[in-house]
Amino acid sequence: MTTGARSSAGRVIPYALLILILLWTLVPVLWMLISSFKSLGDVLSPTPLLMFEPTLANYISLVSGGNNVLTYFRSSLLASGISTIIATSLGCLAGYGLARSNFRAKKHLAFWIISTRMAPIAAVILPLFIGFTFLHLINTVWGLVVAYLSFNLPFAIWIMNAFFEDLPPGIEEAARVDGASNFQTFWRIALPMTAPGIVTTAILCLVFSWNDYAFAVTFAGPGSQTLPVAASQLITQTGVDWGQLTAIGTVVALPMVLVGLAVRRYLVRGLTLGAVTGE
Amino acid sequence: MQSDAAQSSGKQRSRRRGLSFEVKMMIPALVILAAISILPLIYIIWMSLHNVTLLGGSGIESNWTGLDNWGRMFTDSNVWSGWLAMIIYFVATVGLEMVLGLVIALVIHEVAWGKNLALSLVLIPMFIAPVIVGLLGRFLVNPTYGLYAWVLRESGLYDGNILGGSVSAFVAVVLMDVWEWTPLVVLITLAGLVSIQPQVLEAARVDGANYFERLRHIVLPSITGIVIVALLIRSMDALRYFDIIWQATNGGPANATKIIPLRLYESAFRFFHLGYAATIGLLMLAVSILVANLFTGILRQRGLLK
Repeated sequence: MTTGARSSAGRVIPYALLILILLWTLVPVLWMLISSFKSLGDVLSPTPLLMFEPTLANYISLVSGGNNVLTYFRSSLLASGISTIIATSLGCLAGYGLARSNFRAKKHLAFWIISTRMAPIAAVILPLFIGFTFLHLINTVWGLVVAYLSFNLPFAIWIMNAFFEDLPPGIEEAARVDGASNFQTFWRIALPMTAPGIVTTAILCLVFSWNDYAFAVTFAGPGSQTLPVAASQLITQTGVDWGQLTAIGTVVALPMVLVGLAVRRYLVRGLTLGAVTGE
Repeated sequence: MQSDAAQSSGKQRSRRRGLSFEVKMMIPALVILAAISILPLIYIIWMSLHNVTLLGGSGIESNWTGLDNWGRMFTDSNVWSGWLAMIIYFVATVGLEMVLGLVIALVIHEVAWGKNLALSLVLIPMFIAPVIVGLLGRFLVNPTYGLYAWVLRESGLYDGNILGGSVSAFVAVVLMDVWEWTPLVVLITLAGLVSIQPQVLEAARVDGANYFERLRHIVLPSITGIVIVALLIRSMDALRYFDIIWQATNGGPANATKIIPLRLYESAFRFFHLGYAATIGLLMLAVSILVANLFTGILRQRGLLK
């Protein structure tokens, strides 16, 4: 009897705790989503409103009038997209090279690569700022692409290295015995087998650069301003329009949540830089 | 002669072999990485030894000041208070994230029905741009129309301007960081929990060990390695990013939340003391390299890194 009672309590407790956890996690997100559909009067109501007349006014104001978010959206997409493509392609090549090479300084090389990923952003910004000023990369999408490569490239090399090291060695040897060149073995055998790794790498690179604020606010000008910078500037320009702000917040967050959760199975691998294998 | 030629051609061949296929694959990435990491490193060291000012257009002016910036940094009470705020913020956020992350992972691991959905929902915050988290946090604790400020006021727990008081503002930015990054710890820890052999737990259960005994003697010891990975990943990111505080308080009120990267950014882009900011940056870099060494060292020791 007692065991039965204990185990049924043991079965209920996790769910009770889970509800608390979900409240803590989801209330801010849902409140952002709900507020983005409120009129300014409803957003600024001193008692929180759950019943209100939903309106698209905040979203419409984002794409009309003085601050057209579409140009920021374009800059965000270009800067993070191009940086992701370059980082992932070069990361595949270098990650494979690193995984298959066997020289004495390999450990040091690997450490140097990853330490560039760990450098504090505030410190990295300074020399890049001066360099970009010289090279006229300030206020260009290409400046942001280069800045994002500084963290995406080492990340991609390191992760792809981990995925390539997981492949069973026999298959590649067999291909080589059949007369495939080194590059053919990489291109036709190894690369297709790491497809999930490539997708995960690309998505995480995209999320990191899309969510960047520090580089963008320092290097971007009117011609290359990204969405997170636009969001932060809604606060300083004309007082705070929280309705608009929650709308742009939703626009920034939603795509990343969706693509991020799409590769959930491989996230652990990617986010621990390959140290932990997931589900 | 002939043997000489043979030797030299052999040397050439071995040199060509030295630039193997693997190295060739790495070259494009490494060249770019060197250009955007080694050059800036040399440059930031140079900057820390100079007084650097921006001129209009794309020029800079600099004059050699030797170790003046370094001397100034070590006697600058603002820098010290920045490091102090950084250390408190670091310990509070990473500490809370580790504890909460472990607890939440254990809870989700126990849940049988809806486990996948629960995990997906719990992970949402870590995909949201830190800037948005800072702004959203500011909205939620706004004294006149913020949801959380209202809840705290109505429940009689706290009645006042949360971001206006030093302690409450600090607690608020810590909790914003915890909200965003605890999911990462959950995700990593859960991968460790999943890999524990169910037979071992079942055997302990049959032997009469209750949940907390199993937790202490089986579960926690077997996930130590993975928890260390989570700790070190979080530590590095905590040193790296400063967007949440930047947006939520910008270091205020009265510099209570002005962690060292904010101090650096202000020196560089508000007061335009670029050489001095570079000096602060170099010290931050040294700290992060130390942590990175710890990271790879411990992982290698535990065989998690090849």
